[in-house]
Amino acid sequence: MIRVDSITIKEFRGIRDLTLDFKEKNFAVCGPNGTGKSGVVDALEFALTGSVSRLSGEGSGEISLKQHGPHVDRRNDPDKARVTVKVTIPTLSKTVTVERSLKTPGVAQVMPSDPEVLDALRQVKAHPEIVLSRRELIRYVLAAPGKRADEVRALLHLDQVEQVRRGLQKIANDCEKKLVPLDREVTEAREKLLRAIDLSELTKEKVLVVVNAQRVILGLSAFTDLTETTSLKDGMSTLGLVQPQRIPKVQAIADIRAAREVITEITSDQIATNVAEVTADLSALASDPAVAASVKRETFYTTGMELIEGGACPFCDNSWDLEELKRHVQVKIDHLEEVSRKRTVAEAKITPLIEVLGNMRTAINTLAGFAALATPPVVIDAVREYGTNCGTAVGKLTAFLPLAETITVLTNVRSVPQGVLDAIGDLEKVVAALPEPTKQDAAKEWLTVAQERLEVWRNAVRKQKAAKEQAQRARQVFDIYTATSDTVLAGLYATVEKDFSSLYEESRGTVLRNDCRIQKLQNIFLKEKGRGYQNRSLVTFLR
Amino acid sequence: MTRSMMTSPTTEGRPDVPAQVFEKFLHALEGAGVSAEMVARLRKTLLEDKTYTESVLKAAVLGEESLT
Repeated sequence: MIRVDSITIKEFRGIRDLTLDFKEKNFAVCGPNGTGKSGVVDALEFALTGSVSRLSGEGSGEISLKQHGPHVDRRNDPDKARVTVKVTIPTLSKTVTVERSLKTPGVAQVMPSDPEVLDALRQVKAHPEIVLSRRELIRYVLAAPGKRADEVRALLHLDQVEQVRRGLQKIANDCEKKLVPLDREVTEAREKLLRAIDLSELTKEKVLVVVNAQRVILGLSAFTDLTETTSLKDGMSTLGLVQPQRIPKVQAIADIRAAREVITEITSDQIATNVAEVTADLSALASDPAVAASVKRETFYTTGMELIEGGACPFCDNSWDLEELKRHVQVKIDHLEEVSRKRTVAEAKITPLIEVLGNMRTAINTLAGFAALATPPVVIDAVREYGTNCGTAVGKLTAFLPLAETITVLTNVRSVPQGVLDAIGDLEKVVAALPEPTKQDAAKEWLTVAQERLEVWRNAVRKQKAAKEQAQRARQVFDIYTATSDTVLAGLYATVEKDFSSLYEESRGTVLRNDCRIQKLQNIFLKEKGRGYQNRSLVTFLR
Repeated sequence: MTRSMMTSPTTEGRPDVPAQVFEKFLHALEGAGVSAEMVARLRKTLLEDKTYTESVLKAAVLGEESLT
């Protein structure tokens, strides 16, 4: 804790030469706009910290303290811009003088410069809240109960607390996003398995029935239970029942039929209508310039709306109609909310397309596997390429942005290359020409394919389960962080609110007692401009 | 205003609100049955290393799973 005794400001901001004697008490500076009240606060902050938050904070861009700190007539001579403060450190019972020039803002001349004194000044410097703007004070006082933690966080510049909150939130969101493709992977693996074992639902009882039916044909023992490690082929190798490397005719026919069904679906009128609708929606969105930077702009407008105050623009000082400006900005915010709503609608329409493309990718890749075993060989380059393209399209449609790429994908989504259709036709002929397997061979093929697909499904489920647990854990950590930080900051609010009220009352008392002194200061500040008395600022030097 | 904050737990005699938040957070995690390894990793990140980047937080929250 320190108390400010006096300040001497020379050639700093709008002040040529000013000395104020605070007498270690609360102090108020009143005056019309533009007479230098904020300059006094800037000078005090500069002397104590070497920086001016108004010139270095968020949104100040490339403003340089050296260039913009000195009085306009001393811009090329920053050494003349100097601030000297005399402070008392009660805990050390010492009075200390701190002087800085804008030529070397980072270097303070401190007298006396004992380690304890320097440490006390370091502690002051560590507190960004030593200077609070009028806006910050008003926002804090007017904070609604649900917003108090946020206001304390902003007021105390608790960037670390906020940075951790944002980080944990992003981790939780990312973990949840990862679940979407994994859910799809499980669904696709399940469909493929069901097709191989010719069931419509995956229950242990039903699987046991169909699996045991095949095992009995091969003279293998029937299972009484299925666990997560059971191999449907258990015992096949010991009985010399190894599946030869050939196309399993029954499964291949079922998979070719499934692939054709997906092709029929993707080229259907329903999908055509869906694609046309989504393309129109996205084209409309793409033509809206607000979309490209919607996230940034929404934040910009919302923040701007919160900062609109007073009768003039803080950048150019042109006067504005406050209500009209608010209405104008609100229209923009509403528009962006509308854009966001349209995006949600378009994404919902794209979801079935993503699903059908995913099914297509799975079906095509399965056929490519059969085609590799075909005799005579089937040219499958086009099939493999199409399978890859389907995967890429799924990724781009899921990403949604950039819109131009999504629209391009939609344009081609229904087009199945002739080379793919030809290859499927060729494969179908090869499969049809295969000799009908014996009952035993069919059972071996059935169990082999079923086991492969069961394993793929099991792996997909394991990955999904692990990802779900990870997502739940990340969300739990974020929720706990949010709850505890809100509790701590809300507690601080209550303490600060009480102190603020008592300090405010004390300040008012001091203002009344020092009325004569304030009148004198008003005369100093009023000397430059003849404008009316427009507003008042209360500067509370925190003790 | 500042004076009242000085009464809370401090580091080097000055208020350290982020440290207060992080301490309470870690305590709440322990109470919620979160693994001791994760709490230890977060404690090291937040209070010892004082590093708050997303990648470091991810490694602390997810452990080895963050590499997958």
